[in-house]
Amino acid sequence: MTVAAVETKDLVKVFERGRRTIWQRIRREPDKRDRFRAVDGIDLVVEPGEIFGLLGPNGAGKTTTMKMLATLLIPTSGTIRVLGIDPLTRPREVRARLGAMLSGERSLYWKLTGRENLEYFAALYHVPPGETKARIANVLAAVKLADRADDYVERYSTGMRQRLALARALLPNPPLVVLDEPTVGLDPQASRDLRDRVRELKAQGRTVLLTTHYMEEADQLCDRVAIIDHGRIVALDTPAALKRTIRAEEVVHLEIALDGDERPVIDRLARSATVARSERSNGTLAVTAHCASARDFVPAAFDAARSTGATIRHVEVVPVTLEDVFLAVTGRALRE
Amino acid sequence: MGDIRAALAVARKDIRSFSRYRIAVAGTVFTPLYQFVIPAFLFGAAFAVNGRQPGLSATLGTEDLPGFIFLGGLVGGLIAIAFWGIAFSLRSEMDMGTLEPSWLTPTRHETFIIGRALGGMFWFVLSQTVLFAFGIWFLGLRLRPEMLIALPAVGLAILAMVGIAYLLAAVVLIIREANFFVDTMQFVVGTMSGTAFPVTLLPGVLQPIAFALPTTYAIDILRSQALGSRPLFDTGLEYLVLVILTGLTYPLGRWAFARAELTMRRRGMLAQY
Amino acid sequence: MSLLAADIRAFFAAARKELRQQRRYPTLFLGLLFWPVLLPASWVLMGHAYSGNDPQALAAFAERAGSTNVAGFVFVGYAMYMWLSSLLWGSGTALRQEQVRGSLEAVFVTPASRLVPLFGPGVATLIPMAATFVVMGVALWVLFGVVPPLGAVLQAAVVVILGVPALYAIGTLFAATVLRFGEVAPIVQLIRGMFVLACGITFPVAMLPGWAQVWAWLMPPTYIVEDLRRVLLQGAGLAEVAPHVAIVLTIAMLTALLAIAVFRFLETSARRSGMLSRF
Repeated sequence: MTVAAVETKDLVKVFERGRRTIWQRIRREPDKRDRFRAVDGIDLVVEPGEIFGLLGPNGAGKTTTMKMLATLLIPTSGTIRVLGIDPLTRPREVRARLGAMLSGERSLYWKLTGRENLEYFAALYHVPPGETKARIANVLAAVKLADRADDYVERYSTGMRQRLALARALLPNPPLVVLDEPTVGLDPQASRDLRDRVRELKAQGRTVLLTTHYMEEADQLCDRVAIIDHGRIVALDTPAALKRTIRAEEVVHLEIALDGDERPVIDRLARSATVARSERSNGTLAVTAHCASARDFVPAAFDAARSTGATIRHVEVVPVTLEDVFLAVTGRALRE
Repeated sequence: MGDIRAALAVARKDIRSFSRYRIAVAGTVFTPLYQFVIPAFLFGAAFAVNGRQPGLSATLGTEDLPGFIFLGGLVGGLIAIAFWGIAFSLRSEMDMGTLEPSWLTPTRHETFIIGRALGGMFWFVLSQTVLFAFGIWFLGLRLRPEMLIALPAVGLAILAMVGIAYLLAAVVLIIREANFFVDTMQFVVGTMSGTAFPVTLLPGVLQPIAFALPTTYAIDILRSQALGSRPLFDTGLEYLVLVILTGLTYPLGRWAFARAELTMRRRGMLAQY
Repeated sequence: MSLLAADIRAFFAAARKELRQQRRYPTLFLGLLFWPVLLPASWVLMGHAYSGNDPQALAAFAERAGSTNVAGFVFVGYAMYMWLSSLLWGSGTALRQEQVRGSLEAVFVTPASRLVPLFGPGVATLIPMAATFVVMGVALWVLFGVVPPLGAVLQAAVVVILGVPALYAIGTLFAATVLRFGEVAPIVQLIRGMFVLACGITFPVAMLPGWAQVWAWLMPPTYIVEDLRRVLLQGAGLAEVAPHVAIVLTIAMLTALLAIAVFRFLETSARRSGMLSRF
């Protein structure tokens, strides 16, 4: 039986907000700090060789989960196994097998060159001296930075710094790579470039666990996706299977101008589609509807509007995305 | 073995990246020169009678003003390395975000203290060499060959300072106002060790603190051997106390550092910018 | 409201804003209690080590410093050091921060005089400085039992007030120049180091080599420290230090004019090149 790359059971992390002064401790006053469950019972199995995505809005608990896997945080309760090893009892063994890119471009030495940064981290990763040079050349080639390796990092673009951080994570030749929001802050070209590098990691037989709040990224890149919200996993499957769960082929966004109550028009629309979301601002009602066929739904929507005295101003038909899945399971948009 | 190489890599990285801030490198020599060495020398010289130092002689049993100042400065420099070079710079790495990827590697976290201490020693030796050269050329600094007998005391003081650096790092990684803490504590420890004046001049209530610091004995041994000044106690006894204090400081520092690390992992403080 | 009255109001608003910002940094106030007491106290103890209570050594010091009162000598010197330090840090960093944050540009698009952000922050340092002087006076009394007569203290206050424009001008010139160099901390260290060495902060100016003394007497702090020591420790009257005060005020005026000229030059060239946020 193969060992799972990552396995967590009922993983919980509670943070305390605010401070407890020394005076309060001495007087043994009751602890009145707020407790915040950043991760609230996550069960996860990441199989070897897959690209697994944790998708969720900011503050959903993705980064906290990653940090617990990477030995930087101690869980409040629950168990973790990384490549079959417990990070709580054998943290150094986990770190030796794990390539992690957590806070991205900030985490490099700007007054050192790219190569000097990697030389430094190669020693920290205990790469044998005889192999260091070749290993650095390999990872630089893998992230396509070989020609700029001897420039100071302060002269790199954001995308290059992000790629150097990825190269650093590859230094120990890790079977498991964890990437926290790898493309955040990158322009579209640099993001595409980094995603290509991630696909290559899978082709090399490595397991990749990544977090993102970009649904396209999760959709295009991941073999399986866990949607995470308020510290819990609310859905977990392949992107295609997740999209099938909302039983719609197409998504229609409508902008409706109306004066009176919006309820009648929403009720009428709901007869021919699932109204996933509606939001009113001033005289405009924005509606997202999931339907089997836009060709049938759109004329029905115009009829519904006309019969309730409203006017449809704008219609947009789009294929189902993970954003819609998130909307369906949480009732909120990913970016809210 | 891997950790020894990692410590050397930390030292090399520190030396490399610091050497690229030229003004800061110049500051390691010039700041002690204008803040302490030259003003202290001219202040002391204002008490000179026909080129002699009857006042200093009455206090210490030696008239060697430049020797007194430079040897105090030497241990003061060591204290500065522990406070700024090791503890505070670890905190800066945390604020810059580079501590997190370093702690993701299999290298022991305390290796970063050792590596920084090695890097700090490089700058310490370099700046003290320039300072002593300045003293010999311009201020008439002369040291007796007996100073060599005091070198083990300097070695012990270095070990003790690494122990203190562990302790400091533990505090500095957790508290908010790290800069103010390091600034004031460095002054207090330096002054209480007798870098600028003999600890016997301190008010009585403060003297027990002075005698609890390993650096107090290192400075005293150094001055009595190199300048022939009156020691606080018998040199053998001072060596014994220095060994005991170093032996206590080191494990206490490591323990505190391990506790701080645990707290950080529990509370998730590593990447709090 | 006349333009001048509006500018004065803007000027005090700038000072008040600085004071408000200072209040948000509690360690700054801890520092106000810690450094003005412990730094000079350690130099007084150094003085005790060097004098060894030897009458000959003390007489030699009195000949060079004008008084055997080592504690008083050091505390007066350090009062000037604290003042210079807070002026250089305060004015330099305030203007530089405005520049980096881009708020300098925001001030420049208001109708207020462009000299407001240059001179405003310096005023904010006056209140903490007055507090520092009081703390140092109390420390001198409590720790070393030195209490100058009330008349001397009042006369010293006059010397300080007359010295304000000079120090203020130094801070402003420094702030204007810093805009050009960018990095504040190393320049503060350098300039402060120069004052420490030249102005008789911790040792009598007479200890400097002849050429250095010429430079020392071109700097207003040298005069102010010297006058304060004469008034507080040697019983001199205001009339005796008047010639010095006149020199200080003249240098102050020249420095302020130079500061305005430097600032105007940098501002104009920045407006031409469109690089106000960077200079």
